[in-house]
Amino acid sequence: MTDTILSVSNLSTSFRTDRGWLKAIDGVSFTVHRGEILGLVGESGCGKSVTSQSIMRLYEEKRMVRYEGTVMLSGTDLLSLPFSRMQHIRGRDISMIFQDALSSLNPVLTVGDQIMEPLRIHQKMRGDAARAEALNMLRLVGIPAPETRLRQYPHELSGGMRQRVMIAIALACHPQLLIADEPTTALDVTIQAQIMDLIVFLNRQLAMGVILITHDLAVVAQTCQRVAVMYLGQIVEEGGVPDIFDRPLHPYTRGLLASIPRMDGDRRERLHVIDGTVPLLHQMPSGCRFAPRCPYATDHCRKEMPQLRSVSGGQSVRCWREEE
Amino acid sequence: MKKYILKRILTLLPTVFIVSVVVFLLVHLTPGDPAAMMLGDDATMEDIAALHAKLGLDDPLIVQYIRWVSRCLQGDFGTSTAVIGQKVSDMVFSHFRPTLCLAIYSQLITILLAIPTGILAARKRGRIADMITSVLSLLGISLPSFMMGLGLVLLVAVHFRALPAAGYKDLFTDGLLPFLRYMTLPALSLGFIHAAYMMRMTKTSMLEVLSSDYIKMARSKGVKEHTIIGKHAFRNAFLTVLTVIGQGFISALAGAAVVEKLFTIPGIGTLMVDSIEKRDYQVIQAITLLIAMLNVVINLIIDLLYGLCDPRIRLE
Repeated sequence: MTDTILSVSNLSTSFRTDRGWLKAIDGVSFTVHRGEILGLVGESGCGKSVTSQSIMRLYEEKRMVRYEGTVMLSGTDLLSLPFSRMQHIRGRDISMIFQDALSSLNPVLTVGDQIMEPLRIHQKMRGDAARAEALNMLRLVGIPAPETRLRQYPHELSGGMRQRVMIAIALACHPQLLIADEPTTALDVTIQAQIMDLIVFLNRQLAMGVILITHDLAVVAQTCQRVAVMYLGQIVEEGGVPDIFDRPLHPYTRGLLASIPRMDGDRRERLHVIDGTVPLLHQMPSGCRFAPRCPYATDHCRKEMPQLRSVSGGQSVRCWREEE
Repeated sequence: MKKYILKRILTLLPTVFIVSVVVFLLVHLTPGDPAAMMLGDDATMEDIAALHAKLGLDDPLIVQYIRWVSRCLQGDFGTSTAVIGQKVSDMVFSHFRPTLCLAIYSQLITILLAIPTGILAARKRGRIADMITSVLSLLGISLPSFMMGLGLVLLVAVHFRALPAAGYKDLFTDGLLPFLRYMTLPALSLGFIHAAYMMRMTKTSMLEVLSSDYIKMARSKGVKEHTIIGKHAFRNAFLTVLTVIGQGFISALAGAAVVEKLFTIPGIGTLMVDSIEKRDYQVIQAITLLIAMLNVVINLIIDLLYGLCDPRIRLE
């Protein structure tokens, strides 16, 4: 269980803009173990997707993007690999699924063609062998009548079906790590639950690590073993799901948890809102990035940036209040 | 797919009907009596009346229309009023071949020039290759085809003496090599404007497709870059380019008059201009009908190709 598959340390990704280089994520570190689901949560624009796409090196335009830090996948640093080697890692060792399955599947290629493609590329499967394996994958993700589906185009399937197809494509080569970038955001609630169950099932069945990117804390509570909370391109708190949900240490995590609407209790109570707005990337506070919105912020917080430090029980937090 | 084809063909019928009515009225609404014009100034009233009766010009319009349509369907477009005894169908047919060959050749050049450079420009966005192609395409769009043609004649034919300045050699009677020698300059000047436009469309369309989620998905599967461009991206971008190819083909067929005149090619454009000068209404009518029908047919072909390329269209 404690096999480390992926270990990201000090990952920073900068993009070239008219105003110069902007760091979208800054010093992100975390690990994913075999058979584990790590939740990566945070509000829109906090760098969750940048983190996942940096791991895959999907921003490949060299003049436009700069990576720093290391991304170790079973002992290889992905960031220092030549591009051609990286192409062999993608889809074979790490796969990714996206939010919107309709726009993530190629509209002019059949489902079968798209599932067989990684098999052809990475496992050199041909003809009937690839077809049989594609059928297996469709069955594994719970698609009825897979023979028919294989010949269909993405627009002929329902939303939940498309998401399953995308998972089948991603898992075709049995990768060690699956990055699921908000896989259920575009689906309705019942289908969401089915897809999450499927991801949990496959995570156990194939013993792979999963990074689940989401802003839905309820999903994290139900499915993940560990969770990392991101704010403005940094991880502010990380730890086991029970620990973080029971005893959130960072004021931002507390704010997030307090913002979840509750069905029980006093319904007349107004929803909790974290004060202030997210600063723009080029107006980054020099101290703690959450300080402008933090109810506990001191001068120290505004001047100096805290580091992510581990506290009790494998929980880490980036906050001066926990430093004493 | 069969249903799609049938539906496409059925929707053409109203278009064809309207076009035929307009073309028919074209001659009947123009001032002047065709019979009087055919017989000349010193014709007697009796002669004119006799010719009227012979040509059926006194019948109600609807009867004349039906007669005209049924003749057209048999390939009979009447006889020329300017060149005595010459059948219009023969004139149009013999002039159509050079135009068609020129159009196909110029579109081939256009496609081979525009699509690869468009893809290149999209892949190297913001770099030297993109800038060079952008400048060239701007030049192509702003330069009229006769300027392009004159420039090419000056440079290639007069200065380098590499290709003949004008004239026509037929692909079937004179062979491929003479055809290429004589037709490359006209084809280039005809196709260049369109190549510029098509290149821009290819680039825009490729850029749009390349930023889509399914390309990201394909990259995350480990698909190699050239397969991404060729298989995943271009097949989607091609749908937009296909429309442009259709438009280009139509404009090369119908709008080649200037280039044909410039290079003295006996094509439809030349015939059209000559017939207008001679007020040869029968020929003008036949050419107008031909060009309108070509529009309809080419659009049908493009529609069918759409259905072939895009599974989403086929279904509905």
